Amino acid sequence: MNWATLHARVQPSLLAGTSRHPLPGDSIRTADPGSDGALEMLSLMGQALRFERPSPPDSFTVEPEISDDRKILADGLRRPLVRLLTAKSATEHPARALARAFDRLRLRPHPFDLPLIDAFVRSNAEKLGPTAQHWADRQKPEAETQSYFDPELLDESNWAQARLSRRVAYLDQRRRDDADTARALVESTWAQEDADTRFRLLHVLQTRLSMADQPFLSTLEKDRAPRVRALAAKFLARLGAGGENPALRACMERIKQSQSGLLRKRPVLQLELPANVKDQAVSRWILQAFTDVSFGELGGAFQFTEKELIEASAKDEPLLLALALMATSERRLDLLELVVAHLPNAWERTFESGLDTLGSMTESERQRCEEIIVHPYRKDLPTIYSLWDWLHRITDAEAPPSVMSIAVKTKLLAKVPERERGAAPWLEVIAALCPAPQRQELREQLVEFDQSQTVIPLALLDILDGMENDTTHV
Amino acid sequence: MERIEALAPDQSSLASARKLLKASSWPTLAEGEGLIWGECQGSGATPYRVAVTEADAGYKCTCPSRKFPCKHALALMWMRADRSAAFAPASVPDWVKDWLSRRRGTSTGASKAEDEARPKTRPSIRLTGIPEAGADADPKAEQRAAAARERNRLEREAAVLAGLDDLDTWLSDQVQHGMANFVAQTAQVCRTIAQRLVDAKASGLAGRLDALSARLFTLPGPARPSSAIRELGQIYLISRAYRRASELPELLAADARQAVGWSVTREALLGDPEAVRVDAKWRVFAVLSEAQPDRLRRVETWLWRQGGADGLPQCAVLIDFVPISGAAVGGYLVGDQVDAELRFYRSTIPLRAQIARLKTGAAQTKEPLALPNETLGASYAMYERALAELPWLGTFPVTFRSASVRRNAEQLYLHDDESELSLSLHTSQTSDALPLASVGRIDGIGLWNGYEFTLAWAETQLGRWVRS
Repeated sequence: MNWATLHARVQPSLLAGTSRHPLPGDSIRTADPGSDGALEMLSLMGQALRFERPSPPDSFTVEPEISDDRKILADGLRRPLVRLLTAKSATEHPARALARAFDRLRLRPHPFDLPLIDAFVRSNAEKLGPTAQHWADRQKPEAETQSYFDPELLDESNWAQARLSRRVAYLDQRRRDDADTARALVESTWAQEDADTRFRLLHVLQTRLSMADQPFLSTLEKDRAPRVRALAAKFLARLGAGGENPALRACMERIKQSQSGLLRKRPVLQLELPANVKDQAVSRWILQAFTDVSFGELGGAFQFTEKELIEASAKDEPLLLALALMATSERRLDLLELVVAHLPNAWERTFESGLDTLGSMTESERQRCEEIIVHPYRKDLPTIYSLWDWLHRITDAEAPPSVMSIAVKTKLLAKVPERERGAAPWLEVIAALCPAPQRQELREQLVEFDQSQTVIPLALLDILDGMENDTTHV
Repeated sequence: MERIEALAPDQSSLASARKLLKASSWPTLAEGEGLIWGECQGSGATPYRVAVTEADAGYKCTCPSRKFPCKHALALMWMRADRSAAFAPASVPDWVKDWLSRRRGTSTGASKAEDEARPKTRPSIRLTGIPEAGADADPKAEQRAAAARERNRLEREAAVLAGLDDLDTWLSDQVQHGMANFVAQTAQVCRTIAQRLVDAKASGLAGRLDALSARLFTLPGPARPSSAIRELGQIYLISRAYRRASELPELLAADARQAVGWSVTREALLGDPEAVRVDAKWRVFAVLSEAQPDRLRRVETWLWRQGGADGLPQCAVLIDFVPISGAAVGGYLVGDQVDAELRFYRSTIPLRAQIARLKTGAAQTKEPLALPNETLGASYAMYERALAELPWLGTFPVTFRSASVRRNAEQLYLHDDESELSLSLHTSQTSDALPLASVGRIDGIGLWNGYEFTLAWAETQLGRWVRS
């Protein structure tokens, strides 16, 4: 019996059941009288099917070509990287540090490792290059995917096609270099953007905001999105061209002005907190109350210069916190430094306020901001894990060498109470913050700890060193 | 030594550890960075890998023992403590690093609970020197035991034949009702006959039937009825071959007995002068792990022989069964190279083997696999020839040169332009193997089970890809 006969005459009976569709009588010839003819047909058909070669699909998908100029991570670092990123106990800190290193050194993970570190790639795709971005987007519908650009390849012709965060970063840089061209770019695509994108792009105008922006901002008073209208109104108020800022009026109602001094009268400002705000919620209330008020507006309302405003608030810690938050929001690090001179615990107070972003600050600005709020602690750096955790998350940058130098020299980790060392990933966050010059010193201090706690931080330091110094990246 | 006594779960663990103190049992003993590690050939197919941290006596062993620490970890600590064996300085291997990165910190709470659970009398190293009562062999007892074994064997033969009769009846019922009907209720109907076959001590066939439901449901709906014909036809073939073993070639008869469920112990295999033995350098190219319905995990370690086209087996598989709650991987990692003599179970297509003699410990190497210069089409033809020789052939290694991974929607295929053959990749590899779709031609090896291809190893223009 050949394959065609089996297929045409035997298979239908086996599929439908021989009780309903009997096997063709002439096909059943048993070699062994003890065997069942139908079962012999079953095994013969089964074996014939096993010899049937698998049929190919009608067509294959054409894979997109991704242009990625980044070098692939050196082979020797691949396995340690995968091991670290998939370790059960690893926190987000090593992943953040590694993503930054990939971005800074213009490296990319090996394409074969992308499935193994999928969660890391999805969280940090923009820092890992176009191939990783394509991987992270692979399950999105085609309409939702963006073109894949390295930031260095963005220009006026293609900036609108990149991911939003890259667009914002590009625009921010352009705004610093040429404010008018940057605004013109925003205006050119404004009508096609959704509300979220409009809001993020409008934020960029905060950089070098000037009267030249007023005509464009005025057109936004009728924008469909309330938050875009509010932000535009805030900017106009800052320029002195808009109506009254309601947030400013609310703040003014809570700030009491008086004078002090015997020989020379000096103005004094004091923030009066609502009676229903409990002590532990004060910082959060301040952040909410002052988030829509600018430093310039507040000073203008009292007819003070920025420095006079800080001097007048010097004795009032809640008001100083408000000024610190406004200075941070406006990227006025010069003002932040002046405020922190009167508010040495600004780090803790800012953390308590729930501030969760430094806006569009550049990496060097974020590092400077960190220096400003950490330096007042000098040798008494806090041994509270949540402060360091927050610092790393909000700055998303290596600590400036001056900060880490204090941490290493004062043996911060050795001061952490024994019970807290195991309860929080102290060593990981410090290793993730540690810049290259202090890594060796930190390693020497890590040796003092339980080996099970140092596996991840030491591996992180080794990989970061390898990424910076290995010459076999391809 | 006191610390080892304190760690030992019981006196018998210490006594067992003492038997492992010979350096010859340990092809690898090494130290570095505050760790010691070694490999010890036990009763499993792959050697057990043991690592200990010297600072806090943390330990890890790949054996399936439920005692913590096991005798292998205790023996390693013991050899270190009494300096009875030399530990070679070495860099920490990947498998130890992998363990360290997953290791939990020392937990005082847990150790306290363990201490409380331990017997009040502390195990003593001194007592391990006392010989066990009845250790001397008694010839009469041996004879009685041999007679009992033979009686059991005959009883089992009868039970298996009775079970196969029931199986035939059951198969006839399925054929009468049709495969379309069978597919709709595979799990229930297979469970009943599988239990009957377990009672009849035909555990191999019972396992096939138990796994049938899961296998069919990995396939697309339209393919299931014809796959049921394949699987049930194969089961009937094994059943017939078993009954007619005396008429079959010796090796095929041995295959039939193994497929039905007769196992060959490691001792019997190593003592079999007819068993094929191959002394060579072997490369681990795949480690597969699968949970079975009997609450055991089947761990397959696939080895490729480096060099030699001498008619001897080129590929081998070491199979371990470990409790399902244990480690999901065996002792070896993909990429390890082992210099060992393997002894193959008797078979028409010898694949399953045991390590008879390990010359050196396993070590990672970057050398490429010594793959034959054959396309996927040519290798697939070898599979077909093997299938003709052993009709119930299971998973088979297939090598390939200059093939490519292609995609159709979510499904990946290994495609050979020359023969136009496309093997669909295992569904679990949809994500892992996707980067290969962008790298062009690849050489490599994988495992074909008749339905899906598990890509195990590929050499590409971007370097080596291995199944994770």
